[in-house]
Amino acid sequence: MLDILFFGGIGFYFAAVLMQSFAQVWKKEGLGATAWIVFLAGFVLQSGYIVLRGIQAGRIPMANQFEFATMFSWGIAVILVLLHYRTGLPWITLFAMIMCWAVYLYAALLPREIHELMPALRSVWFVSHIGSAAFSYASFMLAGAAGLRYIALYGKNKEDSRLEEIDYFIYRLISIGLLLLTVTIVIGAVWAEEAWSSFWTWDPKEVWALITWILYAISLHLRLNRKKRGLFMAWYAVLSVPIVLFTFIGVNTLMSGLHSYGAIIPFLI
Amino acid sequence: MTCGIVLLGVFAAVTALGSLIPQQREAMYYVRNYPDQYEMIFRFGLDHVYTAWFFIAVVTLLCLNLLLCSVVRFRRVSGDDLVRRAAQLKTNRKPDAEGIAKAEQFFKDHKCRVTVIGNRRIYTKNAFGRWGTFLIHLGILLTVFFFVLGLSTPFIMDISCYPGDSVVLDDGTRIYVDSFSIEDETGKLDYRSMINIRLPDGRETGLRSLSVNHPVGLGQYKVYQQTYGTAGCISVTDGAGNMDRFIVEASDFLSADGKTGILIDNLYPGLEETEEGTTLITSVSGSYPDPVYVFLLMEDGSQSAMLAFPGDELETGGYTFRFEDPVEYPGLRIKRSSAALQWLLLGSSLLLMLGLGVTFLMTPVCAVVDDEGYCLAGGKPEGYALALKALTEKEDTHA
Repeated sequence: MLDILFFGGIGFYFAAVLMQSFAQVWKKEGLGATAWIVFLAGFVLQSGYIVLRGIQAGRIPMANQFEFATMFSWGIAVILVLLHYRTGLPWITLFAMIMCWAVYLYAALLPREIHELMPALRSVWFVSHIGSAAFSYASFMLAGAAGLRYIALYGKNKEDSRLEEIDYFIYRLISIGLLLLTVTIVIGAVWAEEAWSSFWTWDPKEVWALITWILYAISLHLRLNRKKRGLFMAWYAVLSVPIVLFTFIGVNTLMSGLHSYGAIIPFLI
Repeated sequence: MTCGIVLLGVFAAVTALGSLIPQQREAMYYVRNYPDQYEMIFRFGLDHVYTAWFFIAVVTLLCLNLLLCSVVRFRRVSGDDLVRRAAQLKTNRKPDAEGIAKAEQFFKDHKCRVTVIGNRRIYTKNAFGRWGTFLIHLGILLTVFFFVLGLSTPFIMDISCYPGDSVVLDDGTRIYVDSFSIEDETGKLDYRSMINIRLPDGRETGLRSLSVNHPVGLGQYKVYQQTYGTAGCISVTDGAGNMDRFIVEASDFLSADGKTGILIDNLYPGLEETEEGTTLITSVSGSYPDPVYVFLLMEDGSQSAMLAFPGDELETGGYTFRFEDPVEYPGLRIKRSSAALQWLLLGSSLLLMLGLGVTFLMTPVCAVVDDEGYCLAGGKPEGYALALKALTEKEDTHA
């Protein structure tokens, strides 16, 4: 059952990406609407998968790289759905769908066994620390998706009326992501003090979370104080995505540290 | 501002460098793993980036920059009467009368407070949001300050303590370990010790449960469950039937006269039968499924290497040695630091989060409306600007 929900979700997301691509290339509004419904179906399957896995594991499923990737992808989908119904702005949809699907596909490459939650992760901070990280990364990814859309539109028509709107949403997504990342870092520091006796240990994950934070803090400074916006900020949002992905995937796979709970193969101690 | 951005970039680059090269290892580690670069690593202190002079210099400059930014922002906001200042502004958006009415209704719908000065209406909202960036900068500054202060004050010590034993610290504080287990009653991994902390002034915690993520604290002391280990256990009985129990480690010598007895070599997790014979398994996971004692039997000036399993007994020198099941013991971390400093650090982090929340979620709005049009001032209410533009442009189209 779990596998059906999981692979069903990936399949629906992929179908939605294909349909949305064709809809945008051939300007078929009806196909775009269908793509959205297919995407929603994928979202429902993914949500069901997370709930069912959580019930089977007896905890919120965020304890290793696979579960985090699933939650990360779900976070992108949640924000996309909220944006869609709150703002009614369709311009972000295609790139966001691609990102949501790609992260979920990455999760499919990882071991899916359910493991018991190791003692180090049994904390009241577990959900808030990891959950805020997943949603902050999701916001940054969507800012990157919006940036791609901006660049594509700008290439076609520099006077497009939607550019200003997209630019504003890049800023809002980055600011929400930065706020959530701050929550992640602060809660992580409090948790680290409880678990390891020190608020900060210069662990690679901590360092790269801080670098990601600085990266987006610089972007807000540039925007708010140096009036750097528009195409510059769109490129900034796009080029920052690899750093976010490195913080999420690269650090766990290339560097060892205290955050090795998030490694691909979980180990117990 | 430019200086701050450059400093942030340099800080990020230096911290990244520290994550790429493993920190605080033995010198030989770098010689072995970085044969071509180790000289450069030592010359520039890249083996301890986060305590190197250049890192401290960047952090100091960043703090000075933050201090200046905080002062600038405080002066910009404090004592500034935004409403009076806004009343002087000229309107820069000039839709028709219906558009102006729409804009005005928009501000009312968004629960903006209105102040009338002459023929001008000043709509304001989220005035506190103007303090947001000041709070962010102050929060970061205080967080860094208290963090650095905290680094210099704590006393940290890692100890191992067998169940039933205690550790006495220099100031007379005593930490007693009553018991330790690595599994709970359901068989789930759960490293848990029962400990008691007693301070020199007589205050004590009583027996408290200590586990990962749940340290036990008293006064300035906090004890953490860090690691665990396994040690051998041997019961010794004399001819009169008096029995004593010893927890043993490698090189421990159990003897009454210093000549006859058993010298512990080591405790191994088990034996493995191979084509070449029987070999001892070395512990990797930390578990001891089939423990084996390796020891030297010392008697009459001779020594013989022997193996024993839990339950085995041996008689020598008038004593009976019984090899028991190994015991697990906790590795504890003891930290002494100022609780007030920790609260200040936490408070400054919360100030930073409050600042971010206020900046991003309480964007200040100040709009001036008169008979000619309207303008948005103060803060950066871009969302409002976009919404109003859409609203009044639509109105223009209709007109």
